[in-house]
Amino acid sequence: MTLNDSKVNRRTVMRTALAAGLALPVGGALASCAGGGSSGSKSSGGGSAAPSGSTSADNPFGFTDKSTVDAVIFNGGYGTDYVSFAGQVVMKKYPGSKVKVSPSTQISQQLQPRFVSGNPPDLVDDSGAQAIGVNTIAAQLEDLTPVLEANNYEGTKISDNLYPGVKEAGLVGDKMVVLNYVMTVYGLWYSESLFAANGWTPPKTWDDLLDLGAKAKAKGKYLFVWGQQAASYYQQLLMDSAIKQGGDEVRLGLENLEPKCWSNPTIQAVLAKLEEIVKKGYFKPGGAGTQFTQAQAQWSNDESGIMYASGSWIENEMKSQTKAGFKMTGIPEPVLDTSTSKMPYDALNAAPGEQYIVPSKGKDPNGGKELLRAMLSKEAATNFAKTKLAPTIVKGTVPTDGFGSTALQSQIKMLDAAGSHLFNVRFVSLYGTVQDQLVPWNSFLSGQLDAAGLTKALQQISDKVRNDPSVKKVKIS
Amino acid sequence: MTFPNPTVSGGASAAAAGAVNAGVTAPRGRGGRRRTRPSRVIFLLVTVGIPMVVYLGLVIWPFLQAVYYSLTDWGGFSNTMNFVGLSNYRYIFTDGIFPLAVRNNIILAILVPLITVILSFVLATMVTVGGSSTGAVRGLAGSSFYRIVSFFPYTIPAIVIGVIWAQIYDPSKGMLNGVLTHVPLIGKHFDSFAWLGEVKSAMPASIFVIIWGFVGFYMVLFVAAIKGIPAELYDAARIDGAGRLRTMWSVTLPMVRETVQTAYVYLGVVALDAFVYMAALNPTGGPNNSTLTMSQDLFKTAFAQDQFGKACAMGVVLAVVTLVFAALVFGVNKLISRREGV
Repeated sequence: MTLNDSKVNRRTVMRTALAAGLALPVGGALASCAGGGSSGSKSSGGGSAAPSGSTSADNPFGFTDKSTVDAVIFNGGYGTDYVSFAGQVVMKKYPGSKVKVSPSTQISQQLQPRFVSGNPPDLVDDSGAQAIGVNTIAAQLEDLTPVLEANNYEGTKISDNLYPGVKEAGLVGDKMVVLNYVMTVYGLWYSESLFAANGWTPPKTWDDLLDLGAKAKAKGKYLFVWGQQAASYYQQLLMDSAIKQGGDEVRLGLENLEPKCWSNPTIQAVLAKLEEIVKKGYFKPGGAGTQFTQAQAQWSNDESGIMYASGSWIENEMKSQTKAGFKMTGIPEPVLDTSTSKMPYDALNAAPGEQYIVPSKGKDPNGGKELLRAMLSKEAATNFAKTKLAPTIVKGTVPTDGFGSTALQSQIKMLDAAGSHLFNVRFVSLYGTVQDQLVPWNSFLSGQLDAAGLTKALQQISDKVRNDPSVKKVKIS
Repeated sequence: MTFPNPTVSGGASAAAAGAVNAGVTAPRGRGGRRRTRPSRVIFLLVTVGIPMVVYLGLVIWPFLQAVYYSLTDWGGFSNTMNFVGLSNYRYIFTDGIFPLAVRNNIILAILVPLITVILSFVLATMVTVGGSSTGAVRGLAGSSFYRIVSFFPYTIPAIVIGVIWAQIYDPSKGMLNGVLTHVPLIGKHFDSFAWLGEVKSAMPASIFVIIWGFVGFYMVLFVAAIKGIPAELYDAARIDGAGRLRTMWSVTLPMVRETVQTAYVYLGVVALDAFVYMAALNPTGGPNNSTLTMSQDLFKTAFAQDQFGKACAMGVVLAVVTLVFAALVFGVNKLISRREGV
């Protein structure tokens, strides 16, 4: 080698390096990074690239045998196989078409580059802890109303077969950008066998809950358990109960982030009861330092707590840690007084779970809608209910035996009893406030913060979002 | 970044092959002063140019981008954004949460390196020069065993350490309370005591876990540094009548000061991040946000609240704090060495 006599001095090094260093990356890097591209203009006609056939009542989105659908599905408690199942249904109906289902647990991180470069999937299950805030991308999403207007694979109009409130829960402004597929029911959950053995009756009001707390304490048990990541379940309980007691006025105040919305007298009356439960020591202490699954096992396995406020995913989530013969059962959230509440006791917070979106800039948004249509047809919806033990938004897919699950039976019972009295609270997920809200809730449930302090902290969080001009607000009515 | 990697690596291997060929065939000694000889250019391209390209493209450029994004209201999912000047910075410093995170990180950056360095230095001294004061300078009996055992935690991934300790600290079923509740007299105070759920204990408990994970590694680092000190120095010190403490302070410490500085900077960077440990121990930021770190707040702002502009501003602040920390450590070290005239 001739390195000995080639005098590499500092100047040559710098010169060569500079030349090489500048020339090469500039071209590539400038165009490649997140916000720098000009992909917006190119992709605006994304939908037109897809093969589009003629539309008919049986094929409302012009799906053809050559269509391909690219679906990215949150791989959480429900897995992704139910979407693959619906994909099979589509491919059977249109032989030659392709439905590709990709699982993801980090929707936001994985899809961010695809959204920015104008190449999003055709259908996304935007769920999980790292879901994309729908509010942020609403302008880039398709209106899904046509899916509800379409006929399902059995030939009846899809919207006629759904539980009420589906459309409302998906609105951003007057555009329905989200279709929540799984019917999630919020309630109080308990072990029917434990209650029967002790002669306890399920509570309907907060006073019933206080009584029950005393009875549980007499047996050396606690009324409630909580875990640090799930302290917000009790926020849900507070909000839902106050909404049932005080009506839409309470809900709209919270949803639209109104000043002093947390000081609403009904919310305060319910909060006072919850504070009494905390003060009397009916919450199992230490929740603020307990992982939420551990806390839930203290209820479903150890039975050191006798009730838990949660959504209906709880049965699936705790499947492996539920005591044999537990007979998990759900009941509606309590009200202050069943005779004065604006909504009946049977009213339910029901809707969200697995929010499906169809990005407009995908290669074939109509393919995404076709896949949704298949998912909303009887065959795929029944398959979901049967394999996941949870109802979809499609009515009548669960037999009365609940496929042998007491929790599923009670969910259907609750939904049937509620009838049209279903509501939903959306601001927490719309603005991603739950992380901030967990902090005062943990302090409150462990007794370090009183009701006034909690109210102040929650109001500050709502005010912060309201006063931040960079956050787009969704007007909810 | 979607830097065209295949091109870079392909170019690298082609250039490397070219360099070898050129080197072999170039006639020796002809025109030694000629600067544009292809072999030299290619050599420089391979050794300096390509790393520089990668560095500029994958490190400096994203840095600049983040700084730019921090001045916009970018939501993260489109390529439209408005320039908003410094209002993101104004926002994060007045929102009441981020300043707490900065404070927590500063506490971590002070305590974690300090305690870890002192502890691992003392342990390293014990297993290398803290042994019998007669005969050759050596460590305690069985020192190689201690060395191996204390290194164990470092071989466990940080997230696993976090998960394990989260279970140990569990108020109802955790090992720690399981033991403490059986201690007479004080036991009753630890019934369902939430180590990670009380303001007064959450941060110390978290700091303990981080230190637990790192002490072994830094001990080994110091052991290597101490082994490099000539034994004559210890012999001389001993003849002069220096005891173990005096030897440690006046011989060992000055000789390993560079290592202390390196350890301090590394540990400081770990403490200023601390994301993995905190996300496992207290994913919600701890009671009253008492263990929330800047990186956690950044992650939440970006991926839960879709405010990438503000998140980038937090990232810039984190980078500045880290640089200031490193500068402080180097500055202090320089001051000490100047005073000692080394």
